[in-house]
Amino acid sequence: MAKEVFYSGCAAAAYGAKDARVEVISSYPIRPYTGIMMELSKLVANGELEAEFVHGEGEHAQVSIAYGAAAAGARAYTGSSGVGVTYAMECYSPAAGGRLPCQMAIADRALDPPGDFGSEHTDVMSARDQGWIMGWAESPQEVYDNTIMYYRIGEDHRVLLPQFCCQDGYFVSHIPGRMQMEDQKAVDDFLPPYNHPHTLDPNKPINHGPQIFPDQGSAINVQRAVAFDDVEAVIAEVVGDYNKAFGRDYSPFVDEYMMDDAEICFFLQGAHARTARYAVNHLRKQGIKAGVSRLRFMRPFPTQAVMESLSKVKAVGVVETNTSYGGAARGGAIIHEARHACYNLDNRPIITSFMAGLGGEIVTLNEFYAMAKVLSDAVKSGKANDSYWMNFEKEVLDTHS
Amino acid sequence: MSRFIIPKHLEVPLGACLPAPVKEQPGMITGNWRTERPVIDHEACTTCLNCFIYCPDACWHLDEKTEQMVWNADYCKGCMICVNECAPNCLSMVNELEFPDGVVRLEKPF
Amino acid sequence: MSQEVYEVTIWARGVFQDMEGRHATLLMANAADLGGKFVQAWDDYADLPDRVGVPLRKYVRLSDEEIEMRFVYVNNNPVLVMIMDDTIVKGLNILRGMPQGGSLVVNTKRTPDEILAFIPNKELLKNIVCVDASGIASDAAIDFMGSEGGVEVASVGAGISAPLVGAASKVCDQFTVENVVKVAANKDGVQKGFDTAQVKAL
Repeated sequence: MAKEVFYSGCAAAAYGAKDARVEVISSYPIRPYTGIMMELSKLVANGELEAEFVHGEGEHAQVSIAYGAAAAGARAYTGSSGVGVTYAMECYSPAAGGRLPCQMAIADRALDPPGDFGSEHTDVMSARDQGWIMGWAESPQEVYDNTIMYYRIGEDHRVLLPQFCCQDGYFVSHIPGRMQMEDQKAVDDFLPPYNHPHTLDPNKPINHGPQIFPDQGSAINVQRAVAFDDVEAVIAEVVGDYNKAFGRDYSPFVDEYMMDDAEICFFLQGAHARTARYAVNHLRKQGIKAGVSRLRFMRPFPTQAVMESLSKVKAVGVVETNTSYGGAARGGAIIHEARHACYNLDNRPIITSFMAGLGGEIVTLNEFYAMAKVLSDAVKSGKANDSYWMNFEKEVLDTHS
Repeated sequence: MSRFIIPKHLEVPLGACLPAPVKEQPGMITGNWRTERPVIDHEACTTCLNCFIYCPDACWHLDEKTEQMVWNADYCKGCMICVNECAPNCLSMVNELEFPDGVVRLEKPF
Repeated sequence: MSQEVYEVTIWARGVFQDMEGRHATLLMANAADLGGKFVQAWDDYADLPDRVGVPLRKYVRLSDEEIEMRFVYVNNNPVLVMIMDDTIVKGLNILRGMPQGGSLVVNTKRTPDEILAFIPNKELLKNIVCVDASGIASDAAIDFMGSEGGVEVASVGAGISAPLVGAASKVCDQFTVENVVKVAANKDGVQKGFDTAQVKAL
């Protein structure tokens, strides 16, 4: 029976994994992901979920266990935050290149130094080149839904890729919200059992990761690029099916709010989109035609969908809750991809970025208003900087008052 | 000329490295963790120093001049290990609200 | 332009009162929800409650409209402050940020005057409520769900949170004692808390 519950994002991820019938769970505590691990350990201990629960000796071990389990034919689930995600970095490419569709729940967290458990996307964003599927949820409901959808996307034989199912630490992972949990039978109908073309089997031995010569290297890479050819089509299919099966209304790649007649927009991923929508409501009352374009998948970056969305406005403010030090825009990572998506447009919008919410700082309504001012000025003057670090540059100083 | 304007309250030491506290850490006062405090009967005390040895937070020390044990109200968490270990049983736990002194009253927990 | 949000901060002690603190937020939120309010109820993220006796905070936010600033770390201006262990008055400025005319609810066997003696900024208060919640209901079972966003397994409001929220409903207009009784496990406890609470106006 579907039921309405009041769950945090951590609990939503755990129950999503339970309903997805995960078979092997590897854990290692790090805040804020720890909540997911604790909830799952409880479910396994009291028999509500039949799964192997393996405690790794670190995040590197955790991810190794997960993709090892996927190789052995089990639906595997793991997760981490912050420096835990970067500790496991070595394992990401073998998992993706070996086409092992395990899922890693990311409740994101700022990287050291110093010790900050506030939310920041940099941790798993720094693994975006490793060949995994990656996307952010903005609410506990979406965390639950994504957990189930990502398995179906990743395990599809046209795709066979591991997935990072991400949520903002604390904002989504630890503040409970109302959501609907679905009936197990309905989820089973939506998500077929895991089935991999070549699992580890003593009767049919296979080699994983054999040694090759460099002249074979590009062929391997091309195979991995081909894997991303079909992913967008599969995503569109899966999201459509999920919407139909469970009465949701997700747009597969970009979630738009008041974009159709907007002149400026905020382009972002994750929880702060919610605050951005309220900011847009207030801005509209003042005659400023703002909109929100929320990115649901970072990888594969939905270039076409982003271009279509951003082409509607005259100025785009990418709200970066991540850092890419020394990057071309001297700010975050998303602006480079947003600008690229719009490169071929005849009338490119002005695209700038705002470094906001870093280290887990709250992005306030006032900050969005300050961003909107910069964007409106940019529309008039025709130019803007590459990036504005909120509260540290003269155009966007002191927005907390 | 840097484009960044760093407000005073957001200045951070290089590499987020701070001088380490040596004796007491005023940024981590834990006296407000306790609900009861150890009260000493100085007459019965033999200065065996068990309380000093066993306290995990080093909240008892011997004042050489008065030759009496001195208790630290700012950091004692009320764990009662000293009461347990006291050889002449001269320590007892009393509810914190019985004492108008020893107020820690932090503005914020951290 | 900022919204009317009624903020509640609950102070409790780590490990043995962590669950009750959380239950107090759930009782208030669920009761207010029955009355048609928009609610948020959650634990303070920084307080790391798995340390015995550490003062920790839980929060509730209530509004007649959808709450716009959902992502806050702290309730900066609590109108209602509840303390589950009376010795906390010595340890922290519990009325910090309270707008003029707020309420304080205390779990104590002592009288309002004895508690007020420890509060230098008591002029912020409209009233103080003292209730012997620990006498009415025990500090219920301990769990380590703490601040890690876990799902509540125990029935909500079996321990001291029930009489405390019952007492709070005497001075808080955001939820009624009838609705608190509806959502709490220890229904008698809620009513007893409401009936035996000593309210002193300041």
